[in-house]
Amino acid sequence: MHTVIAPRDERTQPVRVVPGYPQTPWRNPKEPLVRRPPTLSELTGPLEVAKRVKLLGGDIAGHGDRQAIGQLVHLKLRVLDEDGAPVGGTVVEVWQANGAGRYIHPNDDDHAPVDANFYGAARLLTDESGSFELRTVKPGAYPVPTKDGWWRPPHVHFSIFGRVWLSRLVTQMYFPGEPLNGQDRILNAVPDAQARERLIARMVPPAGNPYNALVFEHQIVLRGRQATPAQP
Amino acid sequence: MIPTAEATIGPFFPPRYVDAGANDLTQFDDRKAQGEAIEIAGVVRQEDGAPLDNLVLEIWQADAKGIYRHPADPRHREADAGFFGWGRAATDKEGRYMFRTVRPGAPQGRARHVNFMVMFSGLMRILKTTMFFPGEPANDADPVYVAVPVARRHLLVAREEAPGRYCFDLKLRGVHETPFFDD
Repeated sequence: MHTVIAPRDERTQPVRVVPGYPQTPWRNPKEPLVRRPPTLSELTGPLEVAKRVKLLGGDIAGHGDRQAIGQLVHLKLRVLDEDGAPVGGTVVEVWQANGAGRYIHPNDDDHAPVDANFYGAARLLTDESGSFELRTVKPGAYPVPTKDGWWRPPHVHFSIFGRVWLSRLVTQMYFPGEPLNGQDRILNAVPDAQARERLIARMVPPAGNPYNALVFEHQIVLRGRQATPAQP
Repeated sequence: MIPTAEATIGPFFPPRYVDAGANDLTQFDDRKAQGEAIEIAGVVRQEDGAPLDNLVLEIWQADAKGIYRHPADPRHREADAGFFGWGRAATDKEGRYMFRTVRPGAPQGRARHVNFMVMFSGLMRILKTTMFFPGEPANDADPVYVAVPVARRHLLVAREEAPGRYCFDLKLRGVHETPFFDD
């Protein structure tokens, strides 16, 4: 099977220089990006990345007397391609702030407290249906040090490999009904309203959830379609 | 279905995102990669020349025979079992990164090259570029190399500082801006 990659609709992807996001004008290319013909090099990519990196479990909310503080949530995600076909066996890296909005990172010097029972990261493998799950706490919002009132809404980061080099994705997922969503400079850098809406998870009825957690479902679509090569 | 919108990796990806040894492609599965071991290192800077710390780079390349470890490569069954082809590195406070890998062979229809990906706080989209090797006549026939305007092509060619030691600096914006690709 070969993977075919078509250009994306630019309105469904974020602008590169974001008003009010002060680092963006310094780091994004000024020259036009160069269109290149896709070759085998871009239409292959690392598979079985779990053989190169260590997986870290998908249950990060803690247990017993070592439970993370915050609203317990169960995230259920699916990774699909542009045909809606599941992307199974791919590595997904997940990270988020703790319930108070603080990351485990030496550069996060926010005043919100560290939670000793919350590391806030996982590295998982999608199953054959493209699914993966995470038991965690809902991340808190936090102020960005722009000092002009920009707060990031609760969000979870995902880094996903997919089948080929050009399907690699780094994205963020948001929670429904959050008042900060409408003002977030990163979420709103995506011009198309429907594309922004697709970044927001869906809350589903929590009845019967094995973790007694609130349940959110979310879908992530990677670039590419599978094609059978033409016979010579 | 429409591909999900990208977002910045942000400054707070976990410290363990870049595992120790993830920048060393010279062995895999307890085997040593075939071919000539090389080092690729450089500094990543933004428009004002400031080096960028806490930036993530990933590379993807063919093995020493020019074969990709991926079923779309018709020769993948002959791929080097000791070479995975992918690696990840982070820059330090001086903006420096380093990969240890093997000199890739020329894949069919291409000059030998290494694909790069840049992920960083303030980059809403992954930046993709390709490093070429100096002194390779095949560069001038490479479809990706020639897609770049002539005046900027040299910015994709690494400098050989010592035998097997290559320097490939990246400038994300401004003077000597690295050509990035729109795929």
